[in-house]
Amino acid sequence: MTSEQRLAAELRERSMALFGRSLHVRTLDSGSCAVCESEIRMLAAPHYDLHRLGLFFTPAPRHADLLLVSGAAVRAMDVAVHKTYEAIPDPKAVLAIGACALGGVYEPDLFLHGAVDEVIPVDVYVPGCPPSPLALLQGLLVAVGRLEEQVSTARFDLRAQPITLREDRDARREPENA
Amino acid sequence: MLWFLRGLRRGVVSTRYPRVSERDAWARALPTPPRFDSERLTDELTQELVDVCPARAIGREYRALVLDLGRCTGCGRCLEVGGAAVARSGVFALAVRERADLIKRIPIRGGQT
Repeated sequence: MTSEQRLAAELRERSMALFGRSLHVRTLDSGSCAVCESEIRMLAAPHYDLHRLGLFFTPAPRHADLLLVSGAAVRAMDVAVHKTYEAIPDPKAVLAIGACALGGVYEPDLFLHGAVDEVIPVDVYVPGCPPSPLALLQGLLVAVGRLEEQVSTARFDLRAQPITLREDRDARREPENA
Repeated sequence: MLWFLRGLRRGVVSTRYPRVSERDAWARALPTPPRFDSERLTDELTQELVDVCPARAIGREYRALVLDLGRCTGCGRCLEVGGAAVARSGVFALAVRERADLIKRIPIRGGQT
C-alpha cells in the first residue's frame, strides 16, 4: 500500500466519520478575477489529481460538502453566497480562497464586503494571489483534518530557523528522470 | 513487460503532495510572502515598506512590523525596497483555521534603540 493510498484511506476514514461519504467540492466565485478559478480547475488536472485524495468537484451545492469561495465578496453576490451556503447540507466546511477573499486587495466599500467571512462563516483560510494548486490542496486537507497547519509554527523572521520541506525518503531512493 | 512497467513508473507525473518530493521542486519559485530580518528593520524602512505594499499586508504597531499573510499577494515590491532586510519565504502552504494565525508581528530591532 503506497502512502497515497494510505492517505486516501485515512481521508476516507475521516470523512466517513464526519460526512459519511467521499467529499464533494463546490466552488463559488463571489467576484474574483478568475485566476483563483483557474488554479482550482488545475486541481482536477492529472498533475495535481485531486481525485486520488477522494475529493471531487460537483456542480450542485446540495451534493457538496466543502465550499471554496473566491473573490472579494461583492455585495451583488450576497444572495447567491447565502443561498449556496444554506443549500449545502451539514456538516459542511467553507474555505476562503485567495487574498481578495481574506480581505487583502479590496477595502470594504459600497460595492463589496472585502472579505468572505463578513458574509458567511469561514472554516479555513487559504492565502495566495492566486493560491497555488498545492496551497489549495493543503487547504482542503486542513479543512478535513488530514494535514496540520504549517504557518502556525513557521516564523517570518529571517533570523529564525529557515523553513525546510520534509524529506521524501522514497523520492531519494528512486531517482527521478533517470 | 518490464519496459512497459518501467515506462509506467517513469511516466507518472502526478504530484505526491502532501508528501514532499523533487517533483514539486518548482514550487519553491512560487510567489510567496516575504520574511523580514528584525535586526535590520528600522523605523524608516518599516514606514517605506508600509507605503510600498499595495495590498495593505504590511502595517506597523509600536516597534513592530505587522505582516498579514492573508492579504499578501506576493508581488515582491517589498523585496525591492527592503534590500537585505527582506527575503522570499518560499512558504506557500499557508492555510489556517484561524484568521489571526496569519498575522505575524516582527519586532523592529534595527536603527536607534
